[in-house]
Amino acid sequence: MADTMTIPEALRAKAQEKGWPDDLVQQALAAGATPEQLAGYMDQGVTADQARQFLAARAAGGAEPSAELLAAAQAAGWPEDLVRQALSMGAAEADLMNYMSMGVTAEQARQFMAQGAGGAQPQLDLSWMHVPTEWNTRARPTKHGLTLEAINIGKYGEVPDTWPYQTEMPRGAVPIPGVEGMGYSIFEKQEVWSDACARLYEEAIQRRWRPATDVPWTSIEPLPDDLERAICQICTHISEKEQMEADVLGRWEPEISYGYHEVKLYLATTIFENARAVEVFRKRALSNGGGLGIQSPGWGFRSVVDARNFTEMVAVQMVLQDSLTLAQYAWCYRYAKNPAEEFIFGHALQDKARHLAYGVTHLKYVMNHRPDRREEVQRYLDKGETMLLQDDRKDPATREAFAIYFGGSKENIREGLHVYRRMRKMFLEQYLARLQWATIDRTARLMPDLKAQLEA
Amino acid sequence: MPVFPSVEWFEAIKNIVNNDPAFRQLGTIDATVGVKVGGKIYELTFEAFECTGVREASENDLRDMDFWLEQPYDSWKDMLENIKKNGKADLSHTLNTIDLSTPEGFAKSHDGYRRDAFYRFNQSLQDFFNASSKIETQFAAPEAVAASA
Repeated sequence: MADTMTIPEALRAKAQEKGWPDDLVQQALAAGATPEQLAGYMDQGVTADQARQFLAARAAGGAEPSAELLAAAQAAGWPEDLVRQALSMGAAEADLMNYMSMGVTAEQARQFMAQGAGGAQPQLDLSWMHVPTEWNTRARPTKHGLTLEAINIGKYGEVPDTWPYQTEMPRGAVPIPGVEGMGYSIFEKQEVWSDACARLYEEAIQRRWRPATDVPWTSIEPLPDDLERAICQICTHISEKEQMEADVLGRWEPEISYGYHEVKLYLATTIFENARAVEVFRKRALSNGGGLGIQSPGWGFRSVVDARNFTEMVAVQMVLQDSLTLAQYAWCYRYAKNPAEEFIFGHALQDKARHLAYGVTHLKYVMNHRPDRREEVQRYLDKGETMLLQDDRKDPATREAFAIYFGGSKENIREGLHVYRRMRKMFLEQYLARLQWATIDRTARLMPDLKAQLEA
Repeated sequence: MPVFPSVEWFEAIKNIVNNDPAFRQLGTIDATVGVKVGGKIYELTFEAFECTGVREASENDLRDMDFWLEQPYDSWKDMLENIKKNGKADLSHTLNTIDLSTPEGFAKSHDGYRRDAFYRFNQSLQDFFNASSKIETQFAAPEAVAASA
């Protein structure tokens, strides 16, 4: 009898909270439901009325099957008693028709119902539904769509100065004890943060392009041998350094803890864009009767690979080296020999400017939050500039290739070298201006040979 | 026929790009860009996938813009005539080329970081000016307009 069933206190409290009267709970318990099942139904939003209807249908032996359902059952090989049993357990005709049309066999249906009819009741935990995360969060799309910044609401948008978790727990989730550490080593915001990284991530996603089909490859016509060799050498050089940047960033990604997912996501787009640059410049080198050229000496590469902390890597790669690469892209775009190269350099330029935006905004964040690191950053740049100069001295191939490309032929290399020097000057002016914005005055400390290039 | 430079002229270009799916495909552009033609200054606001505003601005407003594009009226006219003739800027008349060829600078800013928006959104900005090939432009030097007013 329903009125003789005892309702556990916890279930009674939940039932009151969810609007299930005691008599209904007792009736359900009497029908064979466990307290845990009932608590689960209540948490899933089953109302008292729905529960009453279900119990009534079950008590009445279920609804009478329609002729259409019986015909479908016959076609599917389900005996009539099985159909009646399913209906008596509360299944809807439409659902049964669906199962039949999906090929569910009578045997499978019997097994399923046996589980649901008290034979082997699934014991649900459902405690995960009560964790104290910030609930009722409703992010709204902006003009830019549903962006990372748009979902940074309440607790989910709080980026702590120090992230205390070693695991891959997402920011805003609830930690559980005993999870193994994932090997992260960066737990301080100032080590990686940039106030622009979420926006830069969205920008990178929206402004992507596809080398295989977007570049007008068929616009490339045979070039004189010296020009083809020059562009192929430039492509070799750029492929190398973009691959190196991808490799280096790829190594830093797993060091950054999950609390700073905006940075991790942005760096992922940077790696992708480095890969795209490797792809597109390799394709250009191999698309017009030329091939790859000679490798670079790699002094500058090594200074990036050897960086021992993230900010060092960013200062040398994503501010110093990328300022040079951006200047190279801008000038190659200016002297492109066909619409394909125009497209390639014009788009690579945009990507590189985003990498720089992250680098510069990160340095500014460090300077604002850890002014004591100012001298440290200057020393990283000392090293980076020294290695960059070493590349300049030891890499005539790249310098000459740019000069021939800018000059238009080997005969015009002198004019090309003049443009090359303008490119180096522009790189240095912009490099210093970017650092100045990040509150780093590098004018007096610039390596003497670079200063000479700047003042030439 | 809109007169260059004028708010009406920039509005006409704005309407073209905002209705052009190809402009949207280039991706989001978020920048406040000045265009300085002689003594006249115009402010173009880009937000998400479109140009959201055009207005006449003043010298003081330049400080608040990400960057501004500045060259003499005759150079603007030369650039726009080239765009009209080719359907888009040829390599000698792209914004990038003009920037590299102008010793005193073409894309200017008071801010070493915001100036890089010129590079980040370069192809969208080029597309914006290339869209002028779709309208008939009447040219009038700002000084001449001011003198006749």
